[in-house]
Amino acid sequence: MQPPLPQHQHQQAAAPPPPNSAAPAPKKKRNQPADPDAEVIALSPKTLLATNRFVCEVCNKGFQREQNLQLHRRGHNLPWKLKQKNPKETRRRVYLCPEPTCVHHDPSRALGDLTGIKKHYCRKHGEKKWKCDKCNKRYAVQSDWKAHSKTCGTREYRCDCGTLFSRRDSFITHRAFCDALAQESARMPPIGAGMYGTGGMALGLSGMSASHQLQSFQDQAHSSATTTIGSNPAAQFEHLMQSSTGSPAFRGAQPTSSSSSPFYLGGAEDGHQSQASHTSLLHGNKQAYHGLMQLPEQHQPGSNSLLNLGFFSGGSGGQDARLVFPDQFNGAVGGNVRGDGSEHGNSGANNESVAIFSGNLMGNQMASGAGFSSSLYNSSETVAPPQMSATALLHKAAQMGATMSSGNVNSLLRGLGNGGGTLNGRPAGAGGFMAGESSSLRSTSQAENESQFRDLMNSLAASGSGAGTAFSGGFPGMDDSKLSTRDFLGVGGGVMLSMGGAAGLPLRHGAAGIGMGSLDPEMK
Amino acid sequence: MVQDEGSSSSVTSSPLHNFSTMPLHTSPGGAAAASPTPPWLARELRSDERGLCLIHLLLNCAAAAGAGRLDAANAALEHIASLASPDGDAMQRVAAAFAEALARRALRAWPGLCRALLLPRAGPTPAELAAARRHFLDLCPFLRLAGAAANQSVLEAMESEKIVHVVDLGGADATQWLELLHLLAARPEGPPHLRLTAVHEHRDVLTQTAMALTKEAERLDVPFQFNPVVSRLEALDVESLRVKTGEALAVTSSLQLHCLLASDDDTSGKDGYHHHQSSNGKGGDTNKRQRSPESGVSPTTSRADAFLGALWGLSPKVVVVTEQEASHNAAPLTERFVEALNYYAALFDCLESAAPRGSVERARVERWLLGEEVKNIVACDGADRRERHERLDRWTARMEGAGFARVPLSYYALLQARRAAQGLGCDGFKVREEKGAFFLCWQDRAIFSVSAWRGRRFD
Repeated sequence: MQPPLPQHQHQQAAAPPPPNSAAPAPKKKRNQPADPDAEVIALSPKTLLATNRFVCEVCNKGFQREQNLQLHRRGHNLPWKLKQKNPKETRRRVYLCPEPTCVHHDPSRALGDLTGIKKHYCRKHGEKKWKCDKCNKRYAVQSDWKAHSKTCGTREYRCDCGTLFSRRDSFITHRAFCDALAQESARMPPIGAGMYGTGGMALGLSGMSASHQLQSFQDQAHSSATTTIGSNPAAQFEHLMQSSTGSPAFRGAQPTSSSSSPFYLGGAEDGHQSQASHTSLLHGNKQAYHGLMQLPEQHQPGSNSLLNLGFFSGGSGGQDARLVFPDQFNGAVGGNVRGDGSEHGNSGANNESVAIFSGNLMGNQMASGAGFSSSLYNSSETVAPPQMSATALLHKAAQMGATMSSGNVNSLLRGLGNGGGTLNGRPAGAGGFMAGESSSLRSTSQAENESQFRDLMNSLAASGSGAGTAFSGGFPGMDDSKLSTRDFLGVGGGVMLSMGGAAGLPLRHGAAGIGMGSLDPEMK
Repeated sequence: MVQDEGSSSSVTSSPLHNFSTMPLHTSPGGAAAASPTPPWLARELRSDERGLCLIHLLLNCAAAAGAGRLDAANAALEHIASLASPDGDAMQRVAAAFAEALARRALRAWPGLCRALLLPRAGPTPAELAAARRHFLDLCPFLRLAGAAANQSVLEAMESEKIVHVVDLGGADATQWLELLHLLAARPEGPPHLRLTAVHEHRDVLTQTAMALTKEAERLDVPFQFNPVVSRLEALDVESLRVKTGEALAVTSSLQLHCLLASDDDTSGKDGYHHHQSSNGKGGDTNKRQRSPESGVSPTTSRADAFLGALWGLSPKVVVVTEQEASHNAAPLTERFVEALNYYAALFDCLESAAPRGSVERARVERWLLGEEVKNIVACDGADRRERHERLDRWTARMEGAGFARVPLSYYALLQARRAAQGLGCDGFKVREEKGAFFLCWQDRAIFSVSAWRGRRFD
C-alpha cells in the first residue's frame, strides 16, 4: 500500500528555471498537513544555495522569484507572462536535504517548505557568514542574524557564578550544572539530616520544611551526581532518587535492589562532594531514608512534582495502608542496610544499581501502587478455604459442561472453557461456541437440560471432595448423617440412584470419592 | 422413589428438574410432587457452588436475551440477583455486573422505559471515570507496564532526535508522560525539545495534565510544549494535531482505537460492501448475517481504516498501540457474552487479589470502569457500542493494511516489564512476548496487548 514516490534529481546549471514555481498561494499555511502522495524533491546544494536564480537577459539583474523577474521584464518592454500555479494539478512538494548524514535526507523526514529546506541546509551544513557585533555569535542565515541582533543585549540572565546569558534556556541548562550552586547547597545537608533523624517515623514533619528539604536534597543530588557518578547526568540521578523514594513495598519485596537505594540516598544525604568510597554512605541515613519515605506520603497534593507521581493517589482509601507500611519498611530498610551494606563498596555496584534502578522505575511505581497493597492485603485477609477465583469457576463449569450431555447451555459452557482458555489470541471463543453448536444438534430435549443440571449439582458435590483440596473443609461436616447428605443435594436419596443411572461413570467415581460410606448401600 | 429415578430422563419427579426449567420457562406449575426449591434456597451454598450456579444462570439468561425470550431472561435475572452481589466475592461481582448489563439489554425491547429512566445517559461523570481509571492504574499494574513499554519504545525510536513530537490519542495517564520526561532528561545526549499533543474528550483532564507536566518539565529542564486537542477520537481531524512535515513523530494510543470500530454497524460486518447502511442492530440477534463477522480478516474502507491511513500519512517514526486482548466484537450476543465473561472474570479476580472487599477504589473500578465496559459490550449495539475489543492478530491485519510495519518491542523493555511484574507482591501478573509484542497477562489469560509500528522508511 506504499504509494510511489518518484524522486527528481535536479542537477544545477547556471540559471535554469527551477522545476518548482514559487507562486505563493493566497494565504499559505506554515505547517501543511502531511500528504502521503507528496512529490519528493531532492535539490543539489548549489540549487539550494543559489540566491538569484532568475536573471534578466537585458541587464543581468538577479531575482529570487520567477514572478519578480517577469514584472521586471515589463520595464524593458520585453514580453512577460505571469504563470499561475494551478491548484488542482499541482502536487504537494516535500524537499530533501542533500547532505547524506542529515536526518532530513530520508524521504520520510522530508521538509515541506522550500525556504525551510534552504535555511536548514545553511544553518546545519553551511558556512556561518554573518556575525553579531555585540556578542560575536555567528549565523549562516541572514534572517537569523537579523532576528538575533534585535534582541541581543536586551534581556540578560545572570547566574550566581557571574556568567551572563541572553537566552533563557541556555541559562537554565547552565544553572543546572554550575559549580557555584553546588557549593552553596553543600551547606544544606547538616540541617537536612538532623531533621530527618529527629523526624523519624512520624508523619508529622511540617509541610514547608519537608518540601524545602526535598528541594535541597535534590539540589545536592544534582551536585553530588555530577562529581561522583561521572557519566550519568544529574537528571538521571534525580530520576533514580524519585524511583527509589516512591516504592517502599518494592524494597520489601526485593532486598537486593533495595539495599542499593538507601545506599544512594545516603550518598546524597551526606552531601559529600567527593564520594569516592560509597561504604561510608551506608552507615548514616537509615533514618534519613525513613524520613524521606515519609515525605511522599504526606505531601501529595502538588507540593513537589516528585510526589505527584500518582503513586498514592486515590485518596483516603489507601491511607490506612500507608500508615501501616512504615513499620514494615523500617525493619526492611534497617535489615537491608545492615546486612548488605558492606558489599556495595565500590563504583561497580554503583553503576549496577543505577542500571537496576533505571530499569526498576516502573517496577517501583507499580509495586507501590499494586504490589504493596496486594501483599499487604493478601497477608492480612483471611480467606475461607473453598474460595475459587471466578476464572477457576468458569473453567470448572466448562469442564462440567464437557462431561455432561449436550444441550444449548452446555455448548455455551463449553464455549466458556474454550473462551477462557485461549492463551494465544486465536478467536477460540467462536470456535468453542461452534463446537458446542454442532454437538448440541445431537439432542435438545428438555430432559437433557434437566439431567445436565442435576449432573451439575451432583458433580458439584462429587468434585467438591474429589478434586478440590480446598473443599475438604466443607465436606467432613456432611459426613455425619445420611440425612444431611441427602439434604446437601437437596433432592433426597433418590437422586443419588438416578445419578448412577443417568450420569454414568464420573459421578459414580465422584460419589465414591466422597467417601460417604453411608451412601453406598443406597447406591446398590 | 427408587423406581421413579430409574432411567435417564425423569421429567417429573426431581426437584432439580424444576430448577432447570425455571429459568427457561415461566414454570407451568412444573410437574409432580416435588416443590421447586432451587438449591440455593434449600440450603446455604458454598461459594464455588454458588459461582457455578451463577455461571449457569448467566448463560441461560444470555441465551434467552439473545433470542428475545424476555420472560425467561427475567426469571434468570431474578435468580441471579439473589445470588450475586457487588460486594461479594469475585464471581458474585462479575455476575452482578453482567446481570445489570443483561437487564439493560432486555429493557431495550421497551424503549419507552429506557428513555423514561434516562438509561443510556446514566453513567459515571467524567471525574468519576477519571478517578476509576486512576484507581485501576494503582491497583493493577497492567496499564503502567504498558505505558512503560510505550515510553521505552518512544525513547528508542527518538534516539538522537533533537525535537520530538508525541501525539497521545487518549488513554495515557499523566504519570506515563512524567516518566517519559524523566527518561528523556536522562538521555546521555541531553533531553530533546518535547512537544506533546494530547487528544481527550474533556478539557479539564487536559488542563490538569498540562499543569502537572509543565511543572515537571520545568523542574527537569526539559524544553516542553503541551498542545491539548479537545475532541473525541471518532471526530478527530488529523490536521488539528499540527504535525510538521519532517518532524520526528511518535503516536501512542491506549485502549482507544477500538472505539473507531463502532462505526461498522452490526448488520454489515466486514463484508467489503459496507458504506452507510442504517443501523438496525437493536433487534437482538435475529440478524441476517450469513457468517460470523469474526471471519473477515481483510480490512475494508471503514472509519478505523481511514483513520489509520491518515496516521500513516503523517509518517510517524513509531506508533504504540495498547489494546484489550479479547474478542468482544462478535455480532451474536452469546459469543460476545462468553468471551466477555471469561475476560472480566480474570480482571475481577485480579482486583480480588489486589484489594480487599471493602475497598472503595476497587468498587469504583468495578462499577465505573469495568462495569461500564461490560454494559456497553452486552447491552449496546451499533454506534453506541464503543467497546469493540479485538485481539492483536486482527489489529495487526488492520495496521499492516494501512501501511504500517511492525517494530518489535525491545528486549530491554521486556526485561523491565518482567522485573516490574515480579516485583509486585502477588505473582499473578505475567508478561509474555510474542513476535515483538507484549501480552500483559493475569494467570495465563492475556488481558492487554502492546505493539509498536512504524511508518514508511526508505532505506
